[in-house]
This record gives sequence, structure tokens and C-alpha cells, in this order.
Amino acid sequence: MLSVGFRALFRREILRFVRRPKNTFMPPAITNVLYFAVFGLILGGRIDQIAGFDYILFIVPGLVVLGAISNAFENASFSIFHGRWNEYIHETLTSPLSYVEMVVAYVGASAVRGLIVGVIITVVGRLFVPISIEHGLYLVATMVVITSLFAGFGIIGGLVARDFDDLTVMNQFILRPLVFFGAVFYSLGTFEQAWQVNLSLLNPMVYMVDSVRFGLLGYSDLISVGILPEPYTDFAPLASLAVLTACTLLVLGIDVYLFKTGYGLTD
Amino acid sequence: MPPAIETVDLVKEYGDLRALQELSLTVEEGEFFGLLGPNGAGKTTFINTLVGLVRKTGGDARVFGYDVEDDYQQARDAIGLAPQEFNVDRFFSIREVLKHKAGYHGVPESEAAERADEVLKRVGIYDKRDERFDWLSGGMKRRLLLARALVTEPDLLILDEPTAGVDVQLRHDLWELVTELNEEGTTILLTTHYIEEAERLCDRVAIMNEGRKVTVATPDELKGRGTDTIAVRLESAPARTPDLGAYAHETTVSGERLEVRVDDGGSTAPQLLNDLEAMGHEIADLEITRTSLEEIFVDLTRSEDRTVTRSSAESSDDGESPTDGREPEREQEGVA
Repeated sequence: MLSVGFRALFRREILRFVRRPKNTFMPPAITNVLYFAVFGLILGGRIDQIAGFDYILFIVPGLVVLGAISNAFENASFSIFHGRWNEYIHETLTSPLSYVEMVVAYVGASAVRGLIVGVIITVVGRLFVPISIEHGLYLVATMVVITSLFAGFGIIGGLVARDFDDLTVMNQFILRPLVFFGAVFYSLGTFEQAWQVNLSLLNPMVYMVDSVRFGLLGYSDLISVGILPEPYTDFAPLASLAVLTACTLLVLGIDVYLFKTGYGLTD
Repeated sequence: MPPAIETVDLVKEYGDLRALQELSLTVEEGEFFGLLGPNGAGKTTFINTLVGLVRKTGGDARVFGYDVEDDYQQARDAIGLAPQEFNVDRFFSIREVLKHKAGYHGVPESEAAERADEVLKRVGIYDKRDERFDWLSGGMKRRLLLARALVTEPDLLILDEPTAGVDVQLRHDLWELVTELNEEGTTILLTTHYIEEAERLCDRVAIMNEGRKVTVATPDELKGRGTDTIAVRLESAPARTPDLGAYAHETTVSGERLEVRVDDGGSTAPQLLNDLEAMGHEIADLEITRTSLEEIFVDLTRSEDRTVTRSSAESSDDGESPTDGREPEREQEGVA
């Protein structure tokens, strides 16, 4: 049973971004129209199919991941940091909510924003190319896990940041490069050298993009490159989801620990 | 019934700085308790330790018997805090801010809305309910902080310098409101720089300095620790300073005016008059001046500095008077 206090904080967090669609939902919608138009229509027509998919369709899952996790991260980090900056996070901290409730409310609301952005990007993509969802349940589970994971990272970012520039640095200089080298715009099959594939597999984004691609298109690079030995090769998406879930729980645990110790929140 | 606040040897350190030094304090349920002290005395640190915005370094702190760290949810649920700083959510109207705060304390949404309207009316800013905090005047902002503290219907209301920088009208409105709340049973902890405020409102006050408790007493007890001055105007100037009894700590003569410093002006005056008349003096007028709480406060906080003499302590004052730079006032008790 979710407590009244938890629901109040969760609702406050949702209302904060829902009431500002110009700041929260319009930018990813417009950006992705541009991505689909330029990379999909203008350039995509000159690129061969990848793994049997038109290029414009192949990049949809990566763009969904990019938008969803960026927004989840941004929402959580902004909410925490802005609250710290103006000290109104004290309204939450001086309330009888448990530390777990505080973290789950902040993370949950930010994950919701990430999920909504993911849906918006899918709808935008649908305007350019027909998309059918192959593994719906797996897709939803993956999206919930990865948006929660990055919302959890956003909490840490919001607690660690000393000014607004720090938040920009985290998003632009860490998150985006990892996503762009996370096989959003290409397939691991594109690489001819084994070390290139192995290096890519060190990037955690590869697993997230691949999982969403598996959920949406039914295709997984990780199955194709055989990341798991026979006869377990086809379990790669499930293994990815399991590891991502474990990572998410770990990050949420760190968030709760930081709230409990008051890191960045109390003197 | 456990005390509203009970701290034992409470310590807070910031590196080498000890903001709270083995502070032991008890505030009983239903009390109106004042916390006085100069800037940097540790008053806000003490308050923030109770509500969870400061983590103690050592000692114990309990609110209605609940440990502020182990039972933080119960302890925080009992407290309503109106802080010094304007730490209010800028994204929402003030009515929504109050609804959210009530919600965090477990008040269902419909009841939270009713409570928000009620407290906005009570502090007199209901017509501003749809405004955001930034659009309010300074006085209204102060009222909102009080409304936010009240919307959770706390058993312990903590007011951290609620009247700092507000006009006389608002100050009196706030005094009236908190007095009402206290009469309704709410325990109140008030920190203030205004001695008059503490004297007027508080059952007991604690004087703090440099993170330590200097003393805890009622305002009257504190005033009793000072000396009174009886000023007598004689019909004719005495030839020499009258030799009075042991009750006179100091006697000075200036023309026809005689000033005698005694412990208790009220009870000593008749004896002084008798003694003067016995010596052949005729009394024209008499005035008793009691030591103000403000003077006691200044004396107590200055006497904390044990390494320097009182006069050198005064000369080394950094200019930030614990009484907001006001000259000590002497209270007129009666004129004969």
C-alpha cells in the first residue's frame, strides 16, 4: 500500500513536468522529428538495410533510449538540484516520509517522464515509418528498468552537483557520448574487427539499446554476435534485462543510502 | 508524557568548529519556550538537528520521546517549522505548496485542500492563494512560512526568528496567533533576537552562546538576577553621600539626586525612605528602575568570554550587538 505521503510527493513531481510541456515534451518531439527527417529520410535512403531493416526503422529503438534515459536523468537531477539550490527540498526532508519513499517518488516520477518521452519518440517515428512492437511485455519491462536506472543516476547527479553547469556536463559529456557509441545509429555487425565489438560491449548503453531494439523490432545484436555461448545464445536479451535490473536496484540502494546519510542534503 | 524536546549532551561539529557543545535542554509539552542568543550561538543548528536538516555529531535528541535519527519519521511528523530562510517551492501556487506539505505528512488530498485554505485565512493571505511565492511581499512570505508550519497541525511548532525584519503590525499579528496556538496546547519553541518578544511570550527562555547553554529560567527569574536602581530626588542637596545599610550596593549623589543600586527596588524602597528621613533628608520624588531582560542577556552572553575582562570584552566587540545594536533600555516600574 502506497502511503499518502508518498503519493503526495510523487504527484508533486509529476505535476512539475506535466505542466511545462514546452520545457519537457516539446524539445524531444522536435529533436526527433529532425533526427528521423535527416538520418532516416534524407541520409537513410542512401544506406543499405541493417540486419534486414530499413535504416530509419533500425534507429528508432536507439532514439527512444536516448530520449527516455536523457529525460529521466535530467528530470531527477534537476528536481533534486533545484530543490537544493532553493532549499525547498527541505519541505520533503522535514516531512515524515521514509528515505525509501522519498527516493522511489523522485525516481518513479522521473522514470514516468522518461517513459512518456519514449512513447512520444515512438509516435514521431511512426509518422515516418510503420513500427510494430514484437515483444511488448519485454519492451515495457526494459523501458521501466532503464528509465529508473537513469533516474537513479540523476538523483546522484543532483546530490553531487555544485552548480547547474555540473548537470549539463553530466548529460552532454558523459551520457550522450555513451549513447551515441551505444549502437544507436549502427549495428555491432557493422564492425569487422573482433576488438571493436569487444570494446563496444564494455559500453553499458549497448545492452540498453539492444534490449529496446529486441522489444520493438525483435532483433538483437547480442544474439547475432553470440555474446552467450550455445545453447544460451538466444537468452542474451533476458540476461541483459536481468543485469540492468540488478544495476537499477544497486543504484536505487545508493540513492537511499545517500538520503539516509544526508549527502548533499543536510549539514 | 515525555517532554516535547529533550536533548542530552548534544554535539554538532563542523570540522574544527563546535556549533553545539554538550547541549542539554528540556522543553515540556505545552510550554512556550524561547531560545535567545547572539548570532552564531547555535540556535538554528539546534533546531535543524531536531527536524533532520543537520546530523548531530554526538549526544541524544528526542521529540516527544522519539529519537530524531532512529525514529525520524515520528519525530518529524510532530514538528512544524517556520524557518528563517524562504525555502518554499517556487513551481506551485502557495495553496498547492501547502497541500503538498500536508500530503507529505499523510493528510489526504481533500482534507489537505481544506487545511490549506484554513491556514491561509488564519495568517491573512487567503486572497493570494493562487499566487506563487515569489510574487508575495516580504511580510506575506513570512506569513506563508507560518502557514506551512501550521498546515500539518503540529504538536511542536518551531519558529526561527519569525519576526525578523517584519513591520510592527505583522509582529503583533504573529504574537497574537502564536499565543492562541500555545493556549490551544501547541508547544512552541521560538528563537529570537528581540528580547521584548521573549519576555512577552515565553514561559521559559534558554540563553545560548557559542553552542552552549548559558542558563534556563523564566523571564522574571532572569530579571531577578539583575540589580535595580532607586533614584531619589531630595528637597536639598546632601552635604555628603549618605551612609546607608548593606542593602545599598552602590550610592551616588549628583546635586539633589541620589541613586542607590539594590537587589530588589520594590521591597527596599520603604527602608531607604525611612533611613533617609531618619538622617533628616526630605524626599521630593522617587523612581525605581528595574534591570531589563536585555541587560541581563548582554551580561550573561558577555560573561561567557572568560579570558578577557568585561571592559576589554566590550572594547573588542565586533560591532554586531546581540541585541541588534539597540541601546539597553531600562524599564520604568513606578514613579512616586
